[in-house]
Amino acid sequence: MPSNITVVKVRGVLMVTMPADPDDSTIGELQDKALESMEQHGASALVLDITAVDTVDSFFARTISETAQMVGLMGGRTVVAGMQPAVAITATQLGLTFRLVETALSVDRALDIVSEKGERGRAP
Amino acid sequence: MGKGKRAPSGDNEGTHLQDRSSSDLMEILVQNISDYAIVLLDLEGRVISWNPAAERLKGYTADEILGQSFTAFYTAEDIESGKPHRELKMTADEGRFEDEAWRVKKDGTRFWANVVFTPLRDKAGRLRGYGKVTRDLTERRLAEERIRKQAQEILEMSTVPVVQVWEGVVLVPLIGTLDSARTQQLMERLLQRVTETGSPVAVIDITGVPAIDTQTAQHLIETIRAVRLVGADVVLTGVRPSIAQTLVHLNIDLANVITRSSLSAGLLMALEVLGLSVVPKTA
Repeated sequence: MPSNITVVKVRGVLMVTMPADPDDSTIGELQDKALESMEQHGASALVLDITAVDTVDSFFARTISETAQMVGLMGGRTVVAGMQPAVAITATQLGLTFRLVETALSVDRALDIVSEKGERGRAP
Repeated sequence: MGKGKRAPSGDNEGTHLQDRSSSDLMEILVQNISDYAIVLLDLEGRVISWNPAAERLKGYTADEILGQSFTAFYTAEDIESGKPHRELKMTADEGRFEDEAWRVKKDGTRFWANVVFTPLRDKAGRLRGYGKVTRDLTERRLAEERIRKQAQEILEMSTVPVVQVWEGVVLVPLIGTLDSARTQQLMERLLQRVTETGSPVAVIDITGVPAIDTQTAQHLIETIRAVRLVGADVVLTGVRPSIAQTLVHLNIDLANVITRSSLSAGLLMALEVLGLSVVPKTA
């Protein structure tokens, strides 16, 4: 089955770029791949780039929150980067929560947050 | 008035208006009036008189339209629902009928019209036909629409301005209360600005918010949540004693929000979040 999710290790941190309009199986794959990589590399954080994502639903939010919890149990932080304004508005209006997830304006800033450059992490 | 288009006879050239007969004077008025299409209809609604303004407005020449039914000016939906003859009946019954509605020109384009029907009766009181005066209000309607939109834009801009006060800091000085519509505007404009400029801090100043009711407080929380989701911090400033009291009494959770009582304290906080501080110039 062709894979939509690639996990890359960048400076001790795991990075995943979400494709636009991810279906449920892709979102599920994200969780599996993220945890696999955490085990393999023992990274200190997972950065999820959602710049391309223009709609989210409760399944997406729930899966991300769960993944963050699991990554947390394995010793890592989770940062969601680049959420689009429209997505943020919809998520807020639908009451979707992203537990244990920090947020960043861009992947660049996300890397700053998780590295020792020490920008304070931001929980939504 | 005579049937069809008939200009006053040329051999009266040079005669003062006041020397003309009253029927001539009425004819001159009808022929010269520019804004009103003045049309006479017989009892069945066929056109028996047409003035130049009617030709300009509706596109038909007198030759083309005389003897035709006035339903030609109505939209297909109106004709289907029997509106034209209903209006004639109401005219006869009430002595007058006025309406603002869409009408159709010869080329099929629509225009927004004000139409007044008058029953025409002879000395014995018998109905002989109808007078119809039509005014084109399309321009006015478009202008009104434009003004309304501009007013709304101005209102939106002046009540929800988003200002970049420093590199990385945007400021929203809120005025008034937050209903759902304004919150939507606020969220859209604020989030747009934050992501566009990559500003990690948004300062929301509520000095101009007179009283904070539950609705406004909830909308404010929503907005703050959305800003945090895109990756920026929020500093809420202008929290006056009365507002502080209300927020606590309403049990509003501002756990993840930095709050300050004054805008200046809030701006200092914003700079601190960015790792900046304000120091005096060395002499």
